[in-house]
Amino acid sequence: MFALADCNNFFVSCERVFRPDLEGRPVIVLSNNDGCAVSRSNEAKALGIKMGDPLFKVRDIVEKNKVTVFSGNYALYGDMSRRVQEVLRSQAPSVEVYSIDEAFLDLRGAVIEDFDAYAKQLSASCRKLTGIPVSVGVAPTKTLAKIASKLCKQYPKLRGGCYLHRPADIEKVLRRFPAGDVWGIGRRTRGKLALLGVSTAWDYAQLREYDVRKNFALPGWRTWKELRGIPCIEFEDYVEPRQHICVSRSFAKEIDTVEELCSQVATFADKAVAKLRGQGSLALEMAVFAMTNRFHTEEPQNFASQLVAFPDGTDDHRTVVLTAADAVRKLFDRRYKYKKAGVLFTRIVQKEGFTRSLFRDAEADDKEGRLSQVMDAINGTYGRGTLRLGVQGDGQVHSSHEFRSPCYTTRWAELPKVRI
Amino acid sequence: MKNASFVPHPVTDTESFESLLVGAVKAGFPSPAEDVREKLDLVKLLVRHTASTFFFQVDGVSMVDADMDEGDILIVDRAVDPYNGCKAVCFIDGEYTVKRVVIHDDGAVLMPCNEHSTHYKPIPVGPDNDFLVWGVVTYIIKKA
Repeated sequence: MFALADCNNFFVSCERVFRPDLEGRPVIVLSNNDGCAVSRSNEAKALGIKMGDPLFKVRDIVEKNKVTVFSGNYALYGDMSRRVQEVLRSQAPSVEVYSIDEAFLDLRGAVIEDFDAYAKQLSASCRKLTGIPVSVGVAPTKTLAKIASKLCKQYPKLRGGCYLHRPADIEKVLRRFPAGDVWGIGRRTRGKLALLGVSTAWDYAQLREYDVRKNFALPGWRTWKELRGIPCIEFEDYVEPRQHICVSRSFAKEIDTVEELCSQVATFADKAVAKLRGQGSLALEMAVFAMTNRFHTEEPQNFASQLVAFPDGTDDHRTVVLTAADAVRKLFDRRYKYKKAGVLFTRIVQKEGFTRSLFRDAEADDKEGRLSQVMDAINGTYGRGTLRLGVQGDGQVHSSHEFRSPCYTTRWAELPKVRI
Repeated sequence: MKNASFVPHPVTDTESFESLLVGAVKAGFPSPAEDVREKLDLVKLLVRHTASTFFFQVDGVSMVDADMDEGDILIVDRAVDPYNGCKAVCFIDGEYTVKRVVIHDDGAVLMPCNEHSTHYKPIPVGPDNDFLVWGVVTYIIKKA
């Protein structure tokens, strides 16, 4: 058996742990730079606020219904996520953290008599210990476990835990579950699904294997099997090195000078290199991009990008940051105001086992390597951005956190205060 | 992202900060304490459950007789079940407070602990109150 533990409206729930007065009331959390709603309480969903809605678009609803608005407080969310993971680890033999608010549990070999009671108990423990409501779905495959956890959210009667295993139950549930919402069925395949007459998960599971293989490639075939109760998506309790690394942000205020854009992008590049080095990879190719504000339709729009190759691979701070700054100088156009920019490593290889060119300057590489190591060590100890390259400017990403809650659990100066 | 915000010292043991900057120190006599790494960890003493322990800061004087003074840091563990007489962070009708919780058959009373002031009265908790025990206070950190 597998379980999926999924935190309900996670960012909103984190805020509510410290603000119990917000239980039962509409709450939303905005993305970086207070752009768009990225987490909504059920009450906010009921008011018609959609995932990704920019704040200005829903301002009327927010004001009329006194919706509480928070800026993202990622220090808090990260710490609360760590706490939930700890509870899960204490209750399951192995845990695969899938995202900040979701984890799969591998229950194969665990001695559990009653999976339904187990799921409800686990949900209750998470709630009691961390304050976060968690939906736990248990099923023979990861894909079905994910569906089971969604049922918990729809039906409060399940008390946060659902064991989905009887074939008759699975059929009943899949018949009402839209195929497009199944984990692993991408948005792009929706057109194809319609052509094949598939609208529910059950329709998909009833397709002939031949049609699935022909139309949906390997991932679609796996999903098909998983829906039929055959586990075939590997359990991964170690983290695979990522194939892409992207650091991008939208700016609180639009940027219209090349120096400013350079220093922001340089800071992104520095962060991206830190991630790259953290997983022991080399970048072979990097894309640097900048774009205007797509919501300001009356202003001239632009999306500019530059692709740079590092044929020998690099994980050097200086090389990457200076190259990124250089790319910005090439793509910058002063007719536009830039709202968002980023750095993306589009080709990554593992450092170990990668053969670098014979003709590279090994001595220079060694120097670069030492400098990067020192930067990692200093920035690791004293905080990112302590030691930085001149082009990064003050190293601050100019973002706005107008409605950020205190970092209740990660900063001494921001502990919750109790009046007693 | 895993615990990313919570790793204050990612420098590994084998490659310490200093050895990176100045190179390993080569000395004559190996220290007999080299392989013994022991130290007292206050966090281990005060935080029994790392998943469920939170810190709060005291603002107010209703609990001075329970050794809770202005500015003290309370260690609060949600894993501890509220018991009769426990001191707990409570949330009642929209506000946080810390009181001694006296539990009886059909409810509870939140008792202040300040003999010198008549300002603080016991708060009865009934079915009409919006009430929850947020977590039980397990330690108080105070400046000597």
